Amino acid sequence: MAGDDNKKPAPGAAPAADAYAQVHVVAKGETLSKIAEQYYGDMMLYPKIFEANRDILKDPNNISVGQKLRIP
Amino acid sequence: MTRKTSAFLALCATALLAAGCASQKEPATKAIADAESALSAVRDDAAKYAGSDLQNVESTLSGLKDDFNKGDFKAVVAGAPALMGAISTLKDTTGAKKAEAMAAMEKAKTDYGALSGNVGAMIASLQSRIDILSKAKKLPKGLNAAKFDGAKTGFEAAKSAMTAASAAAASGDYTGALAKAQEAKAKGAEVLQALGMPTG
Repeated sequence: MAGDDNKKPAPGAAPAADAYAQVHVVAKGETLSKIAEQYYGDMMLYPKIFEANRDILKDPNNISVGQKLRIP
Repeated sequence: MTRKTSAFLALCATALLAAGCASQKEPATKAIADAESALSAVRDDAAKYAGSDLQNVESTLSGLKDDFNKGDFKAVVAGAPALMGAISTLKDTTGAKKAEAMAAMEKAKTDYGALSGNVGAMIASLQSRIDILSKAKKLPKGLNAAKFDGAKTGFEAAKSAMTAASAAAASGDYTGALAKAQEAKAKGAEVLQALGMPTG
C-alpha cells in the first residue's frame, strides 16, 4: 500500500511520453488493486498495471505516493 | 467581250484559285501537324488538371481539321495562330494547376505522416484498454455494458478508417489518406472519451 511518505518515487518514474497514455499519480492509501478497480472495474486486473510499469515497479505490493503509473 | 474571251477568263480565274488553294495546302498541313504535336505534349496532364480547357482546344483543332478536309486551307492557315495561342495558354494553365496539386499533395503527405503516427498510438492505447476491459468481471464507474459495446463498435470503425488511410497512402493518394486518418482520429477520440481515457 502507498502511504509511506518516506518512500521516494522511483527515479525516472514518469512514463514515456505518449499523448494517449493514461497516467495515474499514486495517492496515499492506494494499492494497485484499488487503482485497477478504479480504471477497469475489477481489482483482479492489477497485474495489467504492474506489467505496464515493470520499469519502475519491482513488486506489485510496493508502490509509492507520487509515483506516476502508466494505465494500459 | 466574246464568248471565247469570257470562257478563257473564267478558266484563268479557276486556275488562279486552284493555284492559290494549292499554295495554302502545305502551310495548312504543317499548321495542323504543329498543333497536334504541341497538344500531344500537354494532353495527358491537361486531361488531369485542365479538362474543360483541353476540350475547348480539341474542339478548335477538330474544326480546323474539318476545314482542311473540305479543302479550305486558307481557313486552316488563318485559324492556326489562335489555336497555337490556345495550346500555349493550356500548357501554362496545366503547369500552374499541376504545381498547385503537387504542392497540396506534398502538404497532405507531410500532414498524413504526422497524423498516422498519432492515430497509431491512439489505436494501440484503445486496443489495450478494450482488451483489458473485456476481461473485467464488472466495468468501472461511468461505463456500462451498452456504452462499452458502443465503444467497441466505434473502435472497429476507427481501425477500419485507418486501414483505408494506409491503403490510400500506399497508393500515393495522400489527400485521401489524410481525410481517412482524420476520420479515424475523430472516431477514436469519441471512443477515448467514452472509456474515460485522455483524448490527447
